[in-house]
Amino acid sequence: MTEHQLRIAPARTPRATVLIVPPLFEEANRTRRTLVIAMRALAEDGFAALLPDLPGQNESLVPLVDVDLARWRDAVAEVAAGIEGPVIVASVRGGALVDDQPKAAGWWRLAPVGGSSLLRTLMRARVSADREAGIDSTIEILHERARTAPLLLAGNMLSPAMIEQLAAAEARPVEPLRSIGMGADGIAGTPLWLRAEPGEDAAMAAAIAADIAAWSKTCGIN
Amino acid sequence: MTDNSPVDVKLRALLADVLGLGEARAAALTADSGLFGELPEFDSMAVATVLTEMEDRLGILIDDDEIDGEIFETYGNLLAFSQRKVTG
Repeated sequence: MTEHQLRIAPARTPRATVLIVPPLFEEANRTRRTLVIAMRALAEDGFAALLPDLPGQNESLVPLVDVDLARWRDAVAEVAAGIEGPVIVASVRGGALVDDQPKAAGWWRLAPVGGSSLLRTLMRARVSADREAGIDSTIEILHERARTAPLLLAGNMLSPAMIEQLAAAEARPVEPLRSIGMGADGIAGTPLWLRAEPGEDAAMAAAIAADIAAWSKTCGIN
Repeated sequence: MTDNSPVDVKLRALLADVLGLGEARAAALTADSGLFGELPEFDSMAVATVLTEMEDRLGILIDDDEIDGEIFETYGNLLAFSQRKVTG
């Protein structure tokens, strides 16, 4: 099944295509608007910017419980393979866990996060909701249950395979890579992916676009 | 109890990031400021996010069993808990 892709491109032939691998789960919603503003800025700078839906995320018709990190990794590679011309892979947070497979001129990662940290937050939200409902629950109990059956975590139905892969997933080495965080030494702004209520940050979007454009030059894109 | 210590500063920044408080509201938090149940943004997902970020930014590990409702009742309680964990 083909997933939707949001593509914002300049009128002329793009210098390269920036393939954006979005954060995972709720973090994708919290960052989408700012990422799309960054995509517009990239297009003004002569890049095509492509934001695909991962299967089971956003507008995808695939049930989330049917996918895992391996499938997302393949999906990202397949999207990249369909792109004409040079590709810069730009991943955000958990997107960095599935961004290593494409052939690309370079990689750019914003605040990459380990899968175990994402999983821990999801598990905690479930424990907290269970306890509010008067159900005895711990992360250990949930891990045990997840060995044999899908688990609903903060609205995400995750398969045993997905949970097992998340627990161990780290961003894989890629070359050439620019990995950047937030704050004084990185992108100015606030970590919108943590925000309980979605926000947007135009200045942060501009900083993201400028940093990707500068890095792509280092990777040989003119 | 709010003392501009490194833990205090990090904790305010963290709550500002997760709850979208903005610098002014985060700086105005006092020991008595209510959190869970008082700030509408502070739902169970936000609690989970705050705990994981506390671990990352304060370099601590938090066990489920250490968490009770009281910790998130006020900013002062959350700060006291964090100070205890950091000094271990």
